[in-house]
Amino acid sequence: MKSMSRLLAVGLATAAMALGGCNKSEEETASTDGASTDGGQKTFVIGVIAKAQGNPVFKAARVGALDAAKELGDKYGVEIKIDWRTPNTEDAQQQAQFVEQLASQGVDGIAISCSDANLLTSAINDAVARGVIVMTFDSDAPDSDRMAYYGVDDTEAGAAVMEQLALEMGGEGVVAVLTGNPNATNLQARVSGVQGEADKHEGITIFEVYDNPGEGAAEAAAKMKAVQTANPQISGWALVGGWPLYTDNALDGIYDKAKIVSLDPLPLPLGYLKKGQVQVLIGQPYHGWGYESVRMIMEKRMEKKDPPSEFVTSELEFVRADQADEYIAKWNEWNK
Amino acid sequence: MLVIAAMMIGLTIFGGTKTIPLRVELDSSAEVVEHVDGVIEVTIDSQTMSYNGDQWRYQETRSGKRTLFGPETTQNKFLNKENLLLVLTNASFIAVMAVGMTGVIILAGIDLSVGSIYGLSALVGAMVLETLSQSDAAWMSSGIVAVPLAVLVCCGVGAACGLANGAMTVGFNVHPFVITLGMMAGLRGLMIVLTNAESIGGFPESFTRGFFKLEVLSGIHPVPTAIMVVVALAGMFVLSLTVFGRRVFAIGGNETAARYAGVPVGRVKIVVYTLMGALAGLSGCIYLGYYGAGEPNAGMGFELKVIAATVIGGASLMGGRGTALGAVLGAIVIMLIDNGMVTLGIPQNWNQIVMGAAIIVAVVVDQSKSRFGARGR
Repeated sequence: MKSMSRLLAVGLATAAMALGGCNKSEEETASTDGASTDGGQKTFVIGVIAKAQGNPVFKAARVGALDAAKELGDKYGVEIKIDWRTPNTEDAQQQAQFVEQLASQGVDGIAISCSDANLLTSAINDAVARGVIVMTFDSDAPDSDRMAYYGVDDTEAGAAVMEQLALEMGGEGVVAVLTGNPNATNLQARVSGVQGEADKHEGITIFEVYDNPGEGAAEAAAKMKAVQTANPQISGWALVGGWPLYTDNALDGIYDKAKIVSLDPLPLPLGYLKKGQVQVLIGQPYHGWGYESVRMIMEKRMEKKDPPSEFVTSELEFVRADQADEYIAKWNEWNK
Repeated sequence: MLVIAAMMIGLTIFGGTKTIPLRVELDSSAEVVEHVDGVIEVTIDSQTMSYNGDQWRYQETRSGKRTLFGPETTQNKFLNKENLLLVLTNASFIAVMAVGMTGVIILAGIDLSVGSIYGLSALVGAMVLETLSQSDAAWMSSGIVAVPLAVLVCCGVGAACGLANGAMTVGFNVHPFVITLGMMAGLRGLMIVLTNAESIGGFPESFTRGFFKLEVLSGIHPVPTAIMVVVALAGMFVLSLTVFGRRVFAIGGNETAARYAGVPVGRVKIVVYTLMGALAGLSGCIYLGYYGAGEPNAGMGFELKVIAATVIGGASLMGGRGTALGAVLGAIVIMLIDNGMVTLGIPQNWNQIVMGAAIIVAVVVDQSKSRFGARGR
């Protein structure tokens, strides 16, 4: 009886909170101006699943998805809703559950950045078999039935990080590599790109590749500091993601001993760039992850148009200290 | 049960409807011809059916699934068999462990290492399955070998970890919070070392789609739910109808009194933690079979969900109270909250707020009732 009353209390709390949530905001809608969901206007729902809420690069992807929903809603005269479902921290099982839930709700498309390609392949295949169009962005599930992948060529991105670092180091020194979740195929490819490029420089030695499985900023910065303190011979850091730079003043004791080149010129990393503590930041199409994924899904839905290729790759952007303000302005635009 | 029914009614009414295309899945024996005028001809066992290309479309995926999609039909977003079974399937990963956690919490103990045991068992099982699938002998990857072997390995690894938890708690007379906290971190590290931080996939089909992800009807995978039901029934039987179960309650109610009454307290505790570990291993095995891969982050943060399910289901963290059925219902409530967020289109950040509120309300109401009950007496 006690457990029943406890369950009842839980149910009441849930109902109250759910109704509160309903009033606050439902699926993020980008409909045509003044258009309503009634009156025969067709509504499309696209689920967007990024890797982790805590990683700020995915905020731009979300804005990109919403921008595409607005523009394409106008273009096709339909309402497009973006249903954003992303685990707080990297969790491939949670992502797989989101894919299943969204497919079960009958969404029209899903755009996903896969935390673990092996684990998500089966869930993606089941969604596609139900008629859902699935795009991957940032991190692919290449063996799945997804329609296409959009993002940078990760091996090239890794190679670009190492190439820039080698230039900054004058072609010689000891390099430590920092990666994130080691299961992510995109990060594996980037690390392999770093290693491949390092092999081309005789004076460069890769000391070690360090993981940051949870992709937390503080953990990454702490690991970098501990490694640098224990190994003062390290004279360069190749960061295949910007995790330790989503902090402020976390590179004390590192930047004066080593050159740092990283992916992801976000506002906080750009601060390090301006201070001269990081030499080069290399940008990916963050806004495009959401924008292009939604565009390709909608073009397939509305026009039966296939993407130009199974791998739609975009160019890298190289940002140095004198371009930092320009890039910050870009972020302000994306985050409006 | 009443709460779950109330939540389901609410989600059915407020969840709205969805339009989905009619779906016909074709097996490998079907011959499909797409004509230039759009007509799709499907021949199965010498019988040919024609589908109008304006209303039907044919899809063949790279993994070989062949499907005909037809005119759109309207369904309730929440109340449809696929979604309901999805709630139960997702609940089963938590519920199987929550049944074990009920025993631990009735003892006034705690196990913070369940998520790590779940992950480690799954990864060791994944290594065995990977070996089986790479074997040249076909019988090695048959369901008769792969399924029982994987279950045995996963449960065995889980039971060994649970045994270590129980033995250290009893042997060193240290609070289980400390022991299982240490195990949680240690096992997580062991997972990274064992796998070199890489996920493992490519299991025998007989283990995944042949058993744990067996599709009995289109989109219906009932095996995880069936295992959850069996574990719940077994848990109810053990806790309510056996001497061992009564001893668990006796220790949780008053350990000193139980000791004076001749209950082998240490032994019972070790067995309970071992069973907890074995159930975490079983849940890890379901995860492997259902998702077809194991990754080193598996089970991260699961300890909180399992403890939450157990507490919401009526177990008292002070010990002496709890039911296996309540734990399973608690897990279903958690997954209904999860599913409800998607059904109602509520931003996912509300999920954790609702979950947190649910746990606090459950405990506060429970304590208030205890206080009022004590005054009444």
